[in-house]
Amino acid sequence: MSAKVERLVNLTVALLEARRPMTFDDIRRRTRYYQQDDHESARRMFERDKDDLRRLGVPVETRSLDAFDVETGYVVDRANYELPDVDLTAEEVAALALALRTTGDEGARLGLAKLVARAPDPADLAGHVPAQVALTDAPLDDVAQPLVTRQAVRFRYRRADGSDSERTVDPYAVLSRRGSWYLVGRDHDRDAVRAFRLDRTTSRITPVGEPEAFVPPDDLDPDAHVSGPTEDDVDVDVAIAPAARWEAELRGGVPTGVEHLPAGVEPAGAWPVYRLREGNPWRTVSWVLALGADAVVVAPDELRARVVAALEAVAG
Amino acid sequence: MSATDDVARMLTLVPWLLERPGASIEEIVTTFGTDERTIRADLESLDFCGLPGLGGGDLFEVDIVEDRVVVRMADELRRPLRLTPREALRLVLTVDAVAEAMGEELPALRSAVDKVRSAAGVPDGVRVQLEAEGGRWVAPIREAIAAGRRLRLSYQGRSDDSPQDRLLDPWALHVAEGNWYVQGYDHGAEDRRTFRLDRIAELTVLTEPVTHTAPAGPLPPPRYAPSPDDTAVELVLGPGARWLADVIDADEVEDLAGGRRRVRFSTDALRWVERLVLMGAGEVEVVAPGGLGEDVRAEARTALARYA
Repeated sequence: MSAKVERLVNLTVALLEARRPMTFDDIRRRTRYYQQDDHESARRMFERDKDDLRRLGVPVETRSLDAFDVETGYVVDRANYELPDVDLTAEEVAALALALRTTGDEGARLGLAKLVARAPDPADLAGHVPAQVALTDAPLDDVAQPLVTRQAVRFRYRRADGSDSERTVDPYAVLSRRGSWYLVGRDHDRDAVRAFRLDRTTSRITPVGEPEAFVPPDDLDPDAHVSGPTEDDVDVDVAIAPAARWEAELRGGVPTGVEHLPAGVEPAGAWPVYRLREGNPWRTVSWVLALGADAVVVAPDELRARVVAALEAVAG
Repeated sequence: MSATDDVARMLTLVPWLLERPGASIEEIVTTFGTDERTIRADLESLDFCGLPGLGGGDLFEVDIVEDRVVVRMADELRRPLRLTPREALRLVLTVDAVAEAMGEELPALRSAVDKVRSAAGVPDGVRVQLEAEGGRWVAPIREAIAAGRRLRLSYQGRSDDSPQDRLLDPWALHVAEGNWYVQGYDHGAEDRRTFRLDRIAELTVLTEPVTHTAPAGPLPPPRYAPSPDDTAVELVLGPGARWLADVIDADEVEDLAGGRRRVRFSTDALRWVERLVLMGAGEVEVVAPGGLGEDVRAEARTALARYA
C-alpha cells in the first residue's frame, strides 16, 4: 500500500516540476518507476496511476508533442493544481472547525484542511454550546461536478403523480428543505426553471455537453421554485381548541381576539381564533386537516370549503 | 481507507506542515481527523517522497522530535491541491447547515461560508434551510444547557392526544432532517429521550441545576428506533396523496396501477398515522391495522360537525 502511495505522490511532484510535458519514457527516467520488463504492463500501471490522480483532482493534462499525435506528453499545470490562498481570519478558521465537529462529518474534513493549510491557526472560541447538526444524506455526488463546472445534466425523473420522463437540466442550485434535497435548474425541454427532488430521480444523473455551458441568472430565487405550484399566499383565520392553541402559536399564529363557537363541542365553549399570515394555502390546509376535530377554518371561505370537502372525502 | 485517500491527505499535509514547523502530532490528528498511527505512517512515507532518482538530494526531509514534526525540502508541494467539486459541495453544505442553525451566535461562520463558497467555486444557490417552526425554543434551551439548568416542557409526542409535562436535563440541541431536536435525561422516563422542538407547547428554564449530565462522546442522532411493540401499518395512497410516501419513512414502497402506491412501515404512534390519513384528504386507504380506518372516519365526522 505505502509503495503505491509514495509512487502517486512522487508522480505528482514530477509532473508539477516538469518544465515541459513529459513522455512516458521521461517519467520512467525521472521517477524510476514503471521499470517492469513487460513494457505493456508498466504502461498499464502508469495509466491506472494517472486515472487515480485525476480522481483526486490532480489536473494531469495530456498534450501531443508532435503534429502526428505519435508522442504524448503529460504535465500538471501548477496554476490549475494549486488552491489560491483564502483570506480567512483566525475566528473564521475556528468557526469552520467547530461547524464540522458539530456535524461529525469526517468527509468534509480534508476539504477544510486544504482551505486552512495556509490560513492562521484557529482562535479560541470559548463558551459556545454548539448544536449537533445531522445532514440528511444527500445523493449529491453526481451533481457536484456539473454544478461547479456549469455543465448540463440528464436524468429520468418521476413526478408526484407517478409519471416518469427524461429531463435535461442546467443545474443552478441544490438546496435542502424540510430534510429533502432539491436540484433547481433550467429544464431544457420546458425552457423554464424547475425544482427536482433528488430522491425522485429514477436514473443516475449524468453530465451532457460541455462545461461552462450556461450562467445561472443573477436574480435566481431557488426557494420560490421549491415551494411548488405557486398559489398566492393567504391569511387564514383558524379557530383552535384551547388545548391545541400552542400549535397555532408555534406556527406564528397571532390571536385575533375574536372567539368562535364551533358546533357540536361538548361542553359548549368558545375557541380562540388565530390568524396565520401569508401561508401557503396547501400547507395550511394540510396542517388544519392533521389537527382533526381540534381546528376549524373561519376564513377565507375558499379554504374553509377545501377543508370541508377533504373531511367529507375522508368521512366517506 | 484507500491508497488514493492517503495520497489526498498527504498532498495537503505537506503544505500544512510547511506553514507550521514544529507542529505536534496531536494537532495534525485533530486537523486531519484521523488517528496517530495513520499520521505517523504518512510521515514515514513522505520521507521517501520527492524526486527519487537523483541520489537522495531531492527527497523531502521529515524530522520527528518528541512528537514535533518538521518538514523541509518540500517546496514542490508548497500549496494544497484545489478542492474537488465533491469536497467543495460537501464542505459548503455542511458548514451552511450549521450556519443556518447557529449563525446568529457565530457571525464568523457566516462570513467564512461566503469565503469558502467563492474559493471553492460553489454557486450561491447551494444551501441548507431549516424549518422555522420550533425555532423560538432554541435560545432558551441553549441558555439552559450552558447554565446546566433543568427544563420543564409541555410536550405533545406523536402518540399523545394533548401536551404532557416533562422534566428534562438538557444535553444537546440537534438539527436533523431540517428539524430541531433537544436531547437529554427525561426524569419521568428515567432515561435518555429526544424531543422535537416543534412539538413543544411550552417551555420553562427552571432554577434547579441538572442532576444527570451527558455521557462522554457524541450522542446518537435523533432517529426513530423501532421497537418490537410497534404496530404494523399498511396504507394505499391515491395519486393525490403519493407525496405522503415522502413524509413517511416507510420500510416498503410499492408502485401500483393508476398512480397509486402501497407503503408499509411500523410505528408506536397511531395518532400520527391518523393525522397522515386525514392529511391525505380521502386519498388514503388504511389496509392495516384494522379499526384505524374507522377511527379516522369518526374523527373526520366529528370535525365536520364543527362546521355545521
